[in-house]
Amino acid sequence: MSIHASIEVVDATLFTSVDPVILAGSLCGACGAHVFPAMDSCPTCSSVEVTRVGLPTEGTVWSWTTQHFAPKPPFRTDEFAPFSIGYVDLGPVIVEGWLVGKTQWSIGERVNLVLAHAWTNEGTPVFTFGFEAVA
Amino acid sequence: MSARRVDRDDIFIVGAARTEFGRFDGEDNDLAETAVRGALADCGLSWPDIEFAVGGTNGETKPDNLVSRLGLTGLPFVTVKNGCATGAVALMTARNGLIAEDLDIACVVGYDNHARGAFNVSPARYGLGDWYGSTGMMVTTSYFALKIARYLHEHGIDQRTLGYASAKAFAYSQQHPYAWRRKPVSVDEAMEADMINDPLTRFMFCSPDAGAVSLVLARGSRAYELCETPIRLASVALRGRRPGSFEVFSPWLSPGDRTSPSIDAAKAAFELAGITPAEVQVAQLQDTDSGAEVIHLGETGLVAHGAQEAAYRSGDFDIDGRLPLNTDGGLLANGEPVGASGLRQVHEIVRQLQGRADGQQVPGNPRIGFTHVYGAPGISACTVLINEGAQS
Ligand SMILES: [Zn+2]
Repeated sequence: MSIHASIEVVDATLFTSVDPVILAGSLCGACGAHVFPAMDSCPTCSSVEVTRVGLPTEGTVWSWTTQHFAPKPPFRTDEFAPFSIGYVDLGPVIVEGWLVGKTQWSIGERVNLVLAHAWTNEGTPVFTFGFEAVA
Repeated sequence: MSARRVDRDDIFIVGAARTEFGRFDGEDNDLAETAVRGALADCGLSWPDIEFAVGGTNGETKPDNLVSRLGLTGLPFVTVKNGCATGAVALMTARNGLIAEDLDIACVVGYDNHARGAFNVSPARYGLGDWYGSTGMMVTTSYFALKIARYLHEHGIDQRTLGYASAKAFAYSQQHPYAWRRKPVSVDEAMEADMINDPLTRFMFCSPDAGAVSLVLARGSRAYELCETPIRLASVALRGRRPGSFEVFSPWLSPGDRTSPSIDAAKAAFELAGITPAEVQVAQLQDTDSGAEVIHLGETGLVAHGAQEAAYRSGDFDIDGRLPLNTDGGLLANGEPVGASGLRQVHEIVRQLQGRADGQQVPGNPRIGFTHVYGAPGISACTVLINEGAQS
């Protein structure tokens, strides 16, 4: 069995590959717009000529905040601790996701796409995507 | 001032009433009925005089069923439900109804009675996967924080500007009999309060609550028979998002130039009214959080992007300043009964332009007012309101 199949993620359609982790977006053949998650039509120009593509895995923090209180359900966690969310400029598209490893960030900071532990499901860790500061 | 000739299709607000906003234990319809009867009394009319009605709420009740309390007169009663823009859309629908149906008198009512705490939202309602909610991204407060953090960065605005916005709201509400939160908050207190979502603290967010507002509209010269100082609805414009806008619950944004439905709606409202932002003498902006007020000052053109900090510091938005802003305390102090909120703004501007503000009155007989609402999933509506003086 491959390593890929053993990693449980929050939603497999978000990824073109889990190991290495790559997000799945869509590229519009008519206007060139990228969106995330992948869609069947283009919200920018309304075209349906869209294809599923892997998105860049490096970018910069475009905006960030730290969530200091536990969101209501359907938020799921093993144990709440304040966590950061940001928009990361990947070039063709700006993607929203977790910022992991710390809770104070700077706009413009360079980050990499990673898998981040979201919660544990009957002993099995479930992962989402996040971005961590480039060392 | 030189009197303006009244056009047959001019729409005026001739009656206005609101309830106190806050927690409410009764039925939603109690709130709505109180507001409608208040607005009717304000212009000396009764329900059978109303020819067209529009009601807006985001709750479970049906506005058009208010007729069971107000009177089964057979009138057409339209229901609207457009989130934060509900009130403005109700007003626009009533205006359109009067003109299209060749009628004279309409009534608008907006109300809501929300449970305590942030709104519960489901990803599916917004066309998003479950992952977006389960990973904690479907949180309105984090959206507001992400948006203002970027805006402050792009325009070189100090974070303390957010504290000024909060302190101003509670300075106004302290003297407003219908506002919900009337306890003053200093700039320091606002800045040092518990952080909810960096850079926004506890005193920088509005909360859902309860309240109702009603307006009576009249068309053409009929308005002057009903009201000594009718206020003309010079324009009302509703716009949706375009590519490049930054809206709540967006897993992605497009790079490049930012657009905003608020920019588009404000521009359209000013053009339709033949007014420039610099002519506005009293304004209402959607301040769901302190950052939203700062952003909307720039997006509506009332203040240049980046000039907000200096404007707050020099008291421009105070009652005797250049542009008295959210003079009833705005959403920060009134909370947000979603269906009523946009009409609260219009109510406050109408009262200010008539020289009978419920709270602090803007001095110098202001003639021109402006309102702006903004909300999910990326819609904005703006109005320009004018006191035209005596009829010619
Ligand atoms: Zn396209």
